[in-house]
Amino acid sequence: MPVTYTGNEVDCCLGRIAKEDGQETAGDEEEGVVDGEVVMERRAGRDGDGMEGMSTRGLHGGGGQGQENKLVQINCDPRQHRSSRMTPAYEASTQFNNWRFSPERLVLVRDALNSAAVAAIKSAFDADEPGSSADVSFLDAQEEHLLVKLYITKIPQLCGHFRFPEEVEATAITYLKRFYLRNTVMDWHPKNVMLTALFLATKTTNNPISLESYTSNIPRTSTSDVLDLEFLVAQSLNFEFAVWHSHRALWGLWLDLQSLSDVTEDQRSRDVYETALKHVRDSRFTDAELIYVPSQIALVALSLASPFLAQKWLDSKSSGVGESCSETLQSVVVAINDLIVHTGHPPDVEAVREVDRRLKLCKNPEKVVGSNAYLVRKAEEERKAEAKRNKKAQDIRRAEEDDDPFGNALNEGQPRQQMELDDDDD
Amino acid sequence: MSRPSNAGGWLKGTTVRKGGTAVTNSHSTRPNTPQVQSTSLTAFSGVKDTSGRTTEYFSMDDQCPVCKSDRYLNPKLRLLVSACYHKMCESCIDRLFTLGPAPCPICQKILRKLAFTPQTFEDLTVEKEVKVRRRIAKDFNKRREDFPDLRSYNDYLEEVEDITFNLINDLDVAETEARIERYRKENSTLIELNVRREEQYVQALKDQEEQDRLEREHRALEARKEEELEREEKEKDRREIIDRLETSTKDAVKVIAKSRAEANKRSSARTAATALAKSSAQLLRSRAAQSTTVPDVPHVPLQDDWYTYEDMYTLRDNYDDIYSEAVREDREGIMRAGGYRVQEAWDRAVRSAVTALFLPPLSGVSQSDITSGAPQSILTST
Amino acid sequence: MDAVERANAERQKRWVKDQKIGEGTYAVVYRGREASTSKKVAIKKIKVGQFKDGLDMSAVREVKYLRELHHQNIIELMDVFSSKTNLNLVLEFLDSDLEIIIKDRTLVFLPADIKSWMAMTFHGLEFCHRNFILHRDLKPNNLLIAFNGQLKLADFGLARDFADPGYKMTCQVITRWYRPPELLFGCRYYGTGVDIWSVGCIFAELMLRTPYLPGESDMDQLKTVFRALGTPTEEDWPGHTKLPDYVPVGQFPRTPLRDLFTAASGDALSLLSRCLTYEPRRRVSAREALHHPYFTSLPYPTHPSKLPKPVSAQSRPLEEVDGNVQLSASGPGVKAAPPNRLKRKLSSPIDGLRPLARKLDFGQAL
Repeated sequence: MPVTYTGNEVDCCLGRIAKEDGQETAGDEEEGVVDGEVVMERRAGRDGDGMEGMSTRGLHGGGGQGQENKLVQINCDPRQHRSSRMTPAYEASTQFNNWRFSPERLVLVRDALNSAAVAAIKSAFDADEPGSSADVSFLDAQEEHLLVKLYITKIPQLCGHFRFPEEVEATAITYLKRFYLRNTVMDWHPKNVMLTALFLATKTTNNPISLESYTSNIPRTSTSDVLDLEFLVAQSLNFEFAVWHSHRALWGLWLDLQSLSDVTEDQRSRDVYETALKHVRDSRFTDAELIYVPSQIALVALSLASPFLAQKWLDSKSSGVGESCSETLQSVVVAINDLIVHTGHPPDVEAVREVDRRLKLCKNPEKVVGSNAYLVRKAEEERKAEAKRNKKAQDIRRAEEDDDPFGNALNEGQPRQQMELDDDDD
Repeated sequence: MSRPSNAGGWLKGTTVRKGGTAVTNSHSTRPNTPQVQSTSLTAFSGVKDTSGRTTEYFSMDDQCPVCKSDRYLNPKLRLLVSACYHKMCESCIDRLFTLGPAPCPICQKILRKLAFTPQTFEDLTVEKEVKVRRRIAKDFNKRREDFPDLRSYNDYLEEVEDITFNLINDLDVAETEARIERYRKENSTLIELNVRREEQYVQALKDQEEQDRLEREHRALEARKEEELEREEKEKDRREIIDRLETSTKDAVKVIAKSRAEANKRSSARTAATALAKSSAQLLRSRAAQSTTVPDVPHVPLQDDWYTYEDMYTLRDNYDDIYSEAVREDREGIMRAGGYRVQEAWDRAVRSAVTALFLPPLSGVSQSDITSGAPQSILTST
Repeated sequence: MDAVERANAERQKRWVKDQKIGEGTYAVVYRGREASTSKKVAIKKIKVGQFKDGLDMSAVREVKYLRELHHQNIIELMDVFSSKTNLNLVLEFLDSDLEIIIKDRTLVFLPADIKSWMAMTFHGLEFCHRNFILHRDLKPNNLLIAFNGQLKLADFGLARDFADPGYKMTCQVITRWYRPPELLFGCRYYGTGVDIWSVGCIFAELMLRTPYLPGESDMDQLKTVFRALGTPTEEDWPGHTKLPDYVPVGQFPRTPLRDLFTAASGDALSLLSRCLTYEPRRRVSAREALHHPYFTSLPYPTHPSKLPKPVSAQSRPLEEVDGNVQLSASGPGVKAAPPNRLKRKLSSPIDGLRPLARKLDFGQAL
């Protein structure tokens, strides 16, 4: 291992900060890249192949996206010294770039969402009826999370009913979790969001069924419950539909065990696999997939079923890997293990019922069809749309009346463009 | 014009050719018809046609307004135009201005000898407009792409038109000149840049013409060679027939027919080859415009640098696998016939098992999270 | 405003839509630009809400895959945002496509040009397959050409992941002329071979300058294929008679490819025949193809920047440029077009006069 451990740690930190800066200045790619370059330079300088390191940036076939992020990882990859100019494919994924968090950050995100929502709803209540927010008991972030978790448990049940493949189930659960990293249950109740996430997952995993037959098989659900939310869910997911799953990694791990010469067929009994798969399913109740990589979760699921097999396999993969990487992985394994054991189960239904009861009282009134606040909001939207239509009509009229000899040239280019832009609302 | 010296400024460096070799050949039968005549001297600043030559206007009715000498008396009469757009003959110009700047005999404006130019248009107002426009175009050389939108480009054209109009009609001359000067100062870099662009363009055109010429020559050479070859072949055929007729015992008609057939075959092969040569000539032409400095490089089988963990596992030919039992049995053979390869699914699974296996998790929160606390900021990066 | 809406509004602001440049089956395409840099982009606006099953599958597929694939031979999805109920994909702007180039009779292809396009196609496809994605709609007009000559795979509206064992796929994919025989026979379990067949058809089309297997209907397509390549025997393609929609369509003899592709090199024909092999599993893989001697033998593939390009595509950027000064840096060649096209379209006599002075071209020969 030509790269020293101490250096790795520093670089990992630098890389991450660079990444977060990049995200902070969203839309300003330049800045992110610049940050990335700085990191690269430091690394390259120490490695003694500065020129090569720099030149690869330009040659990179894969294009710009998430380029700064690649730097985060580069030194901790065990094969890095063999393919120093390569970027691991996982780091091109949206899962790596946009849906990977530190545990601390998850807490922060959920708290921030929760407090923002509470503030907004409070003012909506007060606008409707001054002082009315005072005696409302709002949900906190943990309670919100509890409710989401309950609806996660509904997805496997529905998937069993529809006989959807595991891929659909896992994807829908991921979507539901990701949705509530950008929305709160006080705005959008998880029941319909869950149904929508599942329906969307059937499409994104290429197992589509008609909406009609989907909703008719679910009690008290109409097609509009799903249709109304589908776009919002897709938008909240950032239209990033591809998900890497740990059940596939577990399958691959299981297959790859057959490459180990000192593992007998008896040791690879199907029971072990089934148990491991159960742990993978349990992991879906946890935040593991938002923090760790599917292959790591699969490895932990196997180790819960058979520590012996997991260790054997890991040993075979760790040869030639630096001690630092092995140690990192060891601590990751412990952490995931912890998550699955302690939070990898459905929530206590009674506790959730209480949360759901309180939710009825603190829902965002702007999102409750028929409420005053809802009507006010709709009226405001309608007013804006009307203003836009008027402006458009005016533009057209002005363009027609315009007899400036040079105005025609402009008409050709601009107002028409405007008209084309404005057809967004049809 | 309030600044006479400036009027000829744009002509700096050009010389008016003295003496008239111009009209010696023109004994026209219809002396009253204005005629034009081409000179090949590009030193003239008159309006040039596409071949770069100046077409100088002259008429059988020409008369010098100063000395009243006319073409009837002096067939070599050549009238030039002053900066104040008055005509006079070359001998008057010599007489009046050789000793230095002097007032125009017609409008009293101070003129210099070098600032007289040949006349291109019959109507001197056109002459003036053209000159003004030419002068303006030199500085006002912005292009459509120098503007952020169509409106600002139009505004610019409008302004140019305005200035031009003022100069042509001698309106607000001082103020207009000041405008031009201001513009020139403000845009000196861009003006310079556009001049260079124009030069490059002219150069490219020249190169293109040269390329075309070379190619034409090449083709002509090919055609001559071709003819030569054909002639030689015909000669050879003729000799062959005679030889065969001499030596063969076969029927003479058959011998001739056979030789003809062979000759035809050769000739059609040649036609095909010519067609190919022609198309490659055409290709060359289409390629000539492109830069040939970029070399073709050898093919590299895999060019991108995505690492796909392939050194972390070895895929086996076969696995004991519950998920693919049906596929591997495939009693009907339809999965094989359709091209489904379970190995591809295995590859995906095993790769997924080793993908980013040693990736450390993120930890902590960055400063920006704490200060902004805005949850959306974490997701807006692409 | 919700966090989600706010983030979306931020994104939306980054992009400006200009002129409409095309209309597809489920989308309208606009020319646009990045507001801050004026960088040209194409914005594909997909209307949602008009389908009873919600988000259209093509849109879902396209977004899903382009979000993940980053490669110089695959079209870059730069951003996604929504406006009301429309989904907007911001894609890199590409001038032309291979179909336009093939059809442009004024262009002459060198063997090295064809090699270059084939190499870029295989590079893009190999990357899809390496990421376990089938494209399922390869054809010349889905191979777009960038200003610098780079070829890019586009239109992932029919793409999908490789199927897990035992899961069926639809056979109603790939435009007919480029559709492999196993799909014509209704096969529901297939693999990367389907894309390879399409590439083979494109390869042949580049050499012939006309579609190689232009069947008039699905049935006629099989006949066209067999007429060109001979009816497959059980030995050529084991098990094909068991495929769901198998029908005998007549016996045609196998004729050597050489008879039709008279000018092609031996290496080229060898690769072509490996793409158009009946038995899908014996077809060349994208990765094997990239290692085929055709690509390593001389001549080298033409550098993308020198590949033939339609004249219209060369001059078009000038007309379309809007405040993009960089473009004029592309050399004097483009200036050959009138400097001010928009004006020339006008019939108004007043406007007609204004560019007149410019037409005289005073500056030029001074």
